[in-house]
Amino acid sequence: MRIDNELIKNEVFICAQCHYCRVCPAYSVIKWESTSPRGRVYLLKGILKGEIDAEITAVEDFYKCTTCGACEVVCQTSIPLIDLWERARAEFVEKGKAPLPVHKKLKDYAEKNGNPYGEKREERAKWAENFALSESAELLYFAGCTASYRMKELAVNSVEFLRKAKMDFGYAGVDELCCGSPFLRTGQREIAYEFFRKNYEIWDRMGVEKILTSCAGCYRTIKRDYKEIGKELGMDWDFEVIHISQLMWSLVKSGEVELEEFGEQVTYHDPCHLGRHMNVYDEPRKVLESMNARIVEMESNRENALCCGAGGGLKSQFKDLSMEIGKRRIEEALNTGARYLISCCPFCKLHLKQASGGRIEVVDLIEIVNKHAKV
Amino acid sequence: MIDHIPQRSDLTQRYLYSHDIASPPIISKFFKLADVVMQPENEDDVLRILLYAKEKKIPLIARGSATSGYGGAVPYKGGIVVDFSRMDHFEVDEERKILIAEPGAVWWDIERKLNKLGLSLRVYPTSAPSSTVGGWIGQNGYGVGSLAFGSIAENVEKIRVANFEGIVETRDLRFYAGLHGTTGFVVKAWIKVKDYEDLNAYAFHVDVEEAIKIAYARKHYSALYLTRRYLEMKNMVSGNEIPEKDTLVIVTAEKLDGDEELGEEIWNDRFYPLRIRRAGPGVVAAEVLIDAEKLKAYLNSVEGFGAGTEVWFLKNSLCSVLSFMPVDERDGRSVFKYTFSLKALKEAKKLGGRVYSTGLYFSKESKSFYENFDELLRFKKSIDPENLLNPGKVFPSGSLPIIMGFLEVLS
Ligand SMILES: Cc1cc2nc3c(=O)[nH]c(=O)nc-3n(C[C@H](O)[C@H](O)[C@H](O)COP(=O)(O)OP(=O)(O)OC[C@H]3O[C@@H](n4cnc5c(N)ncnc54)[C@H](O)[C@@H]3O)c2cc1C
Repeated sequence: MRIDNELIKNEVFICAQCHYCRVCPAYSVIKWESTSPRGRVYLLKGILKGEIDAEITAVEDFYKCTTCGACEVVCQTSIPLIDLWERARAEFVEKGKAPLPVHKKLKDYAEKNGNPYGEKREERAKWAENFALSESAELLYFAGCTASYRMKELAVNSVEFLRKAKMDFGYAGVDELCCGSPFLRTGQREIAYEFFRKNYEIWDRMGVEKILTSCAGCYRTIKRDYKEIGKELGMDWDFEVIHISQLMWSLVKSGEVELEEFGEQVTYHDPCHLGRHMNVYDEPRKVLESMNARIVEMESNRENALCCGAGGGLKSQFKDLSMEIGKRRIEEALNTGARYLISCCPFCKLHLKQASGGRIEVVDLIEIVNKHAKV
Repeated sequence: MIDHIPQRSDLTQRYLYSHDIASPPIISKFFKLADVVMQPENEDDVLRILLYAKEKKIPLIARGSATSGYGGAVPYKGGIVVDFSRMDHFEVDEERKILIAEPGAVWWDIERKLNKLGLSLRVYPTSAPSSTVGGWIGQNGYGVGSLAFGSIAENVEKIRVANFEGIVETRDLRFYAGLHGTTGFVVKAWIKVKDYEDLNAYAFHVDVEEAIKIAYARKHYSALYLTRRYLEMKNMVSGNEIPEKDTLVIVTAEKLDGDEELGEEIWNDRFYPLRIRRAGPGVVAAEVLIDAEKLKAYLNSVEGFGAGTEVWFLKNSLCSVLSFMPVDERDGRSVFKYTFSLKALKEAKKLGGRVYSTGLYFSKESKSFYENFDELLRFKKSIDPENLLNPGKVFPSGSLPIIMGFLEVLS
């Protein structure tokens, strides 16, 4: 197999093979080098040197990674590993070695319905039926696929909170399309570019200037990937993108929203797409502190936080592995003695809730904040 | 007999388990790949693998995290790579201040647990975030704390070893430590630890003579000396602005009048000596042990080649000196730069120094490296007559030692 991507060609030779990236949640479970970040880098280097080809099992193992970025934080030589994984996966797709079957199925669904869940396009905005949301505004609420179809309570709570905060905002309804995150993460870039173009068109038509997401994955994609895709396609990209945790904190800090006391013992799970990928660690914690919640940090937190196990296409393709990682995170949460495990991402909530088996209450920050926001 | 032991023999896995951190050009092209990788989960598994290998006459290569660069963990003649990563259990005898660890336990996991108990490792390598107990004993070496406490071998109370003879528990490490698994696999180690203490790091901009005086003036925990050239390389790749001057860092429980902020900054980065690979991309390293008295002369010669150096001051006025030259592995013309390791060794030997470790690449040095080499050779022959335990390592065999000797002369 030939590798054309320049990032890969340059960076893999910088790797020291020091194995600090053994912190990888997938490798910690599997314990075979083909799933360790340094093993994956060594494989790419071997392919470039013509010493080995990417066998099917190697490609499969390459995908046993949540792209959580824990490896990047500890990397001896500061290799941008998250980008490297995504670019390598795109190379595998280009050269016909991937996508893996389930990832391909998600793409087929998305091509047809605009979401990877195989749900009907016209049902996307069902959660919003009782709200009569505006279809144009400077500020757009982007609900994303998971909150639209699977974790509707997060979209509902978000909108209720925005109303309480007297924010003027719009929502694209059934015109909203998947942000493309699952496809960028699994190397199926083409369809993500298509979603970029279509979403962009709609936002342009709606007069949007600022985009608010309650999903960490959408936030990462729209703020970081869309900016790059826009640049690549020579399009103007001047949307401001914020995550709802940032909005909550700015409203609380300025006194525009007051929150009732929430004096519970809680622990906060940093979603990879919000924390490591985008450097948002403080705002959710500050919101909780402002409510007098007693935060007990888990053994691994902030940039070293253990991934929930769901991201990067892992949950869809490798359920057992994904669940095992989720359970390890739940153990960390239980060890804090907290009553609530709070996160800021529908995908994390969904997965951690499943992994918890009801042993701890898993909630999203927006649910707590909306419930305690004074009208 | 061994079917239940986690193992893989697909090409990808064999490829991924057939190297360590060094990438020597040309010669590595002649190395075989591992035939299979096995991950024993307990001592019984290790004994079963030994029995199997003896029966089938297959080489066995011990592997921790493969973070060493002497080829010790490289299965260059094929065989079974025995990866100890699943045997990573450890416990602490708090009263006796003894750590009892399986070979795959990782130093920094141990240190974190020890700190919670008010204890701390006496010594650990700067690869501690990933390297293992078995790997460091297998290679033997110095690291953080070695100014006060010496090598890892000096801090091991007892080891339990598995080889073709069965299990041995011994306090006499001479037949196992630093022998790269050629005489048996360490399956458990009892290691001395110390009370936790708050340590401070202080930086001093001093020349090498002054650095030696400060390092050995009192009983300090650790002392690290970085040359200007090394700091230049580090700044270049990291964007840091560490003053580009020869710098000594002393780590101690005492209060000193050095620059604490800079000391901490450098010390906090101690696990990242290879950041400078970005300059190449890649580096060729030369690592020697030399007496402090000869350090200045040695540094003059290696820095003359354009290398940057870090020096660890050790007990008994010994220094471990690690010099780096950037090299672009992709560039065929850079092959000659790899002779730097040999040139540096030649200089060190002229000054009474020696190579840091033997492993595969420096087995030609073993006779002078191990004080009891003849005794070791007899021992090796008696317990492993078929030479199946990591063949080609430590005990010179085949053409590689001759090639390396030849290259050293040429360099
Ligand atoms: C960033 C970095 C910093 C480093 N800093 C230091 C340092 O401060 N000091 C230092 O000495 N080295 C250092 N090294 C080199 C290396 O990390 C150490 O030698 C380390 O102890 C090797 O441990 P490992 O688990 O990776 O062992 P491996 O590299 O896997 O093995 C090392 C040797 O031990 C043998 N071995 C492994 N397990 C066993 C066993 N159970 N029984 C018998 N033999 C066994 C192997 O066959 C091999 O010969 C550094 C390396 C890096 C990348």
